[in-house]
Amino acid sequence: MSYLEIKDLEISFPTPKGKYTAVRDINLSIQKGEIISIIGHSGCGKSTILNAIAGMLTPSTGSVVLNNENIKGPGPDRGIVFQNYSLLPWLTVYQNLFQVVDSVVKGTTQEKHEIVAKNLKMVSLFEHKDKLPGQLSGGMKQRVAIARAFAINPGVLLMDEPFGALDALTKGTMQLEVLKLWNLDNREKTIIMITHDIEEALFLSDRIVVLNNGPSSTIKEIVEVHLPRPRNKIEIVKMPEYIELRDRLLHLLIDHFSIEDMGMKYKN
Amino acid sequence: MSDRDTLTIGTFEEAKTASVATARKQVIRNEKLSALIEKTITKSKSLFLASLGLIIVGGLWELLSSITKDALPGPIATLTVLYEMVSDPFYDYGPNDKGIGLQLFNSIKTVLLGFCLGSLVAIPIGILMGASTICKQIFYPIVQLLKPVSPLAWFPIGLVVFKDTGLATIFIVFITSLWSTLINTSFGIASLPQDHKNVAKAFGFSKMRYLTKILIPFSLPHIITGLKLSISVAWLVIVAGEMLSGGAGIGFFVWDSWNALSLEKVISAIIIIGIVGLLFDRLFTYIESKVAYKA
Repeated sequence: MSYLEIKDLEISFPTPKGKYTAVRDINLSIQKGEIISIIGHSGCGKSTILNAIAGMLTPSTGSVVLNNENIKGPGPDRGIVFQNYSLLPWLTVYQNLFQVVDSVVKGTTQEKHEIVAKNLKMVSLFEHKDKLPGQLSGGMKQRVAIARAFAINPGVLLMDEPFGALDALTKGTMQLEVLKLWNLDNREKTIIMITHDIEEALFLSDRIVVLNNGPSSTIKEIVEVHLPRPRNKIEIVKMPEYIELRDRLLHLLIDHFSIEDMGMKYKN
Repeated sequence: MSDRDTLTIGTFEEAKTASVATARKQVIRNEKLSALIEKTITKSKSLFLASLGLIIVGGLWELLSSITKDALPGPIATLTVLYEMVSDPFYDYGPNDKGIGLQLFNSIKTVLLGFCLGSLVAIPIGILMGASTICKQIFYPIVQLLKPVSPLAWFPIGLVVFKDTGLATIFIVFITSLWSTLINTSFGIASLPQDHKNVAKAFGFSKMRYLTKILIPFSLPHIITGLKLSISVAWLVIVAGEMLSGGAGIGFFVWDSWNALSLEKVISAIIIIGIVGLLFDRLFTYIESKVAYKA
């Protein structure tokens, strides 16, 4: 039995027009310390799978088993980085972390404060601890959200399009930031992230789960990424394996690669 | 290159840095000064425009007064009476002759009592209505039915139930204070975004933490806005209420002055009522700004 086991997962919702199946027949075994990306078009049920692992959604059929235990609801063994940061705007950066740590971690108040300080320093935001989220830039907010998820020291880190709202430069920095934290933690955290970005998936993950288009989407293919770590953004793009994987993913996700593919004649 | 040269260059660099620093300080000082000047100009400009408005209204008032041949007292006559009223506000020569301060104090007491009681009822019900669809379905039709009713219509019922005009007046203020607070509170609670709920769910917040760190901070601005609307309507209603109930308060004072044919006193009372209403509004606007947050 692997660390995280998704078996025959199906999730459907009742709607006025009848049952709507978001995803079905999802089978996935994830090892401890793996970084997995889930990639697919909008509305293909990526978030649904992540929410099932998070325990925010209950499977209609099948099961999600973490560490030999059936997931029945959200728990401190899984930290979530939400798509839109979801910081509480009336609490300071420090309090945003502290309330979560205070809620999840057992220990003295002194210890909890130490955890908060350590995690804020890890994402270099300790000097901004008294600011409100509204006073931070997008990248800083995302770092707070990541620090918050790390602060409860979860075995699994779930990230829903964590860098989707960031500009390309900040995105690059944040990807490195996550890899840094993962390494600082002896690569023991399992990271499952949703992305739209093929380059990002290739740079970060060990395996990339490609989903079919929804509704009732299934896994199209699982692409293994054997690029050596630590990965260097400039170096890996020159590797033949990278180019091969990128082409493979492009073919899995996109049908047309030029206007000629779309049946248009290009006139010179 | 000799030592002397380097030394000279070094000193030169230092001197340059120092002069740059001084210049920068000078620039900052100038910026601060010009910001201050700009602020003063803006302030005096708005002060000037506000007094311009007062002068226009005063002029029209004076004109109206001269057209009616002083049946409507002019600004000077009124302000003289107002000054007399304000300079001895707390005299008490029996039930029909009390200083304006005592009357005002009475009205404010009634409004605050009714308003506080109303809020104590409206906020919890608003929370229930916002949090549960069933509660909303139970209470919302009643709210919709009763909200448009003038609070004065409740006065006879207050009299029958409490057999006391003072208590009946508090009762109508109580009724008045319910609606805006109730509706705003329930709206605030109901509009809590799923994102915030998800945070509580994902990180296992207890009921208490959810209430104090998410639900209340989120809905507080809405609740305060409701309270602000409620107290402004309550202050509107108290004048009419006291005209009905009689005996005490600023509304009674207006009616009593009218009966004594002292329009100067009526207009003075109007000015005072306006100022107190403005102060209530300012107070709640201040509280609003304190609990507001930027998303």
